Amino acid sequence: MSVASRLYARRRIINIAAMILSGVATVIGLLFLAWILWVTLENGIQALNPKLFTRITAYGADGGLANAIIGSIGMDVLALLICAPIGVLAGAWLAEYASTSRFGHAIRFVNDILLSAPSIVLGLLVYMIVVRPMSDLTHGAVSFSGLAGAIALALIGLPVIVRTTDEMLRLIPGTLREAALSLGIPQWKLTVQILMRAAMSGILTGIALGLARLAGETAPLLFTAFGNIFMTFSPLSKTASVPQVIYEYTGDPSPQMHAIAWAGALLIIVFVFALSLLSRLFLSRKKVSHD
Amino acid sequence: MTDLAATTTNASMTGKTADHVKLKVRDLHFYYRDFHALDAICMDIPAHKVTAIIGPSGCGKSTLLRIFNRIYALYPGLRAEGRVELDGCNVLDPGYSMNHLRTRVGMVFQKPVPFPMTIYENVAYGIRHHRKLKRGDLDACVEQSLRGAALWDEVKDKLGKSALDLSGGQQQRLCIARTIALKPDVLLLDEPTSALDPIATGHIEQLVEELKRDFTIVMVTHNMQQAARVSDQTAFMYMGTLVEYDATATLFTRPSQKRTEDYITGRFG
Repeated sequence: MSVASRLYARRRIINIAAMILSGVATVIGLLFLAWILWVTLENGIQALNPKLFTRITAYGADGGLANAIIGSIGMDVLALLICAPIGVLAGAWLAEYASTSRFGHAIRFVNDILLSAPSIVLGLLVYMIVVRPMSDLTHGAVSFSGLAGAIALALIGLPVIVRTTDEMLRLIPGTLREAALSLGIPQWKLTVQILMRAAMSGILTGIALGLARLAGETAPLLFTAFGNIFMTFSPLSKTASVPQVIYEYTGDPSPQMHAIAWAGALLIIVFVFALSLLSRLFLSRKKVSHD
Repeated sequence: MTDLAATTTNASMTGKTADHVKLKVRDLHFYYRDFHALDAICMDIPAHKVTAIIGPSGCGKSTLLRIFNRIYALYPGLRAEGRVELDGCNVLDPGYSMNHLRTRVGMVFQKPVPFPMTIYENVAYGIRHHRKLKRGDLDACVEQSLRGAALWDEVKDKLGKSALDLSGGQQQRLCIARTIALKPDVLLLDEPTSALDPIATGHIEQLVEELKRDFTIVMVTHNMQQAARVSDQTAFMYMGTLVEYDATATLFTRPSQKRTEDYITGRFG
């Protein structure tokens, strides 16, 4: 056997070993994900019935999730309205105005910390800076509220949106900036009208990911929106949400309550799954490429 | 040096004739942080002529071009010293408005970079920023610019389509249209055909020939044949210095410097 073919055989063995190891690692990762999805789907589908959408949680084991679903949608939308504009603008500032400055690096670092901050800490923060002052100001008339819940959720979504906007804008080749600036276009117009348009699909993906992240959160809502067994449409009253109801029902001994919690979990997973699909769709739309 | 300065001053007095000096570069140095990239460049760029800058990679030809519209100022740590006079005013003067400079000195880049908008909007965008025009006037201006870039006939039926769907050569002509729409005095072309196929290159070269009636053109090129084909004046740069600068016919047939001769005969570079 020649040296070349011995080397070739050796490389083939290493190659096969690497393929097997990475394949096994992938399977282990996906196995648990599929397992979770399967259990949720199996238990959730069994509990799906019209009462889920028509009855409120006040009925307990004989009730549904109507008020929690409305509360979740309301708070998620409100949270998105708060964090999407701030996140996109902050990301644009990081990428276009502070990409090389020391201050920009510091902000980016802090944002990354916020990205991985325990969500219960953010809930406590909002309790301290929103719920308590509101209560003091209104002599207890308004304390826990959907608004406070939305602010806490916005803090969860914000760093995701900042991060993706920043990264998507920095992916745009510098030549596009040079081309616009060499037409005498000022920096702000370049950023808002050209670069953001070029990175639009990526930015929308970031917003969808941010929404997916904040929609599944329970902890930040415990001290802010608190929960409510009745239906409410006021952002200033205590508000129920699907994750918070799941959290409470799973601690209840009643099997009917467990079934409702499973159904709620299924709803959230379907929602997040739909959002992921949607963001895939944004990304796969015709990309702006300059190569 | 003093002689050259004296003759160019006289030439610039004669107004927009063939000898009118559009850009006058004097003792220009450029630094990328500590790296001295351009060393004491002096050259006069005549109006309504095509001036080509040739030289091996890294000789500073693109750097020189990017000083003329101060696009280098986008990046921190870059510094130009000396004078670049556009019709007698030093554009390196911090008081010289950058936006004004860039409407007078347009630039087309190596890779075509259309904006993520329609073909129409690509051309109208810059115009709209600098001038308030009625819809009809804007339409006319866009058409004129696209005709000027020899692109009108190919795109007149799809002005509302995305510019990103055009071919590379068409995109590059769109970039030229977008630049000439602002009616600049000087057009800087930074290797405008290096990303294009031979046919598209032919189109652009022909276009450059026509554009010099209205604009002063400075073109950086890697391709010596291209410089010989389209330019009136050619500058040869080497390691940050201007080695030789003469009429194209003279530079390519009777170069006065040994290094120029070595380069154009392919002995290095």
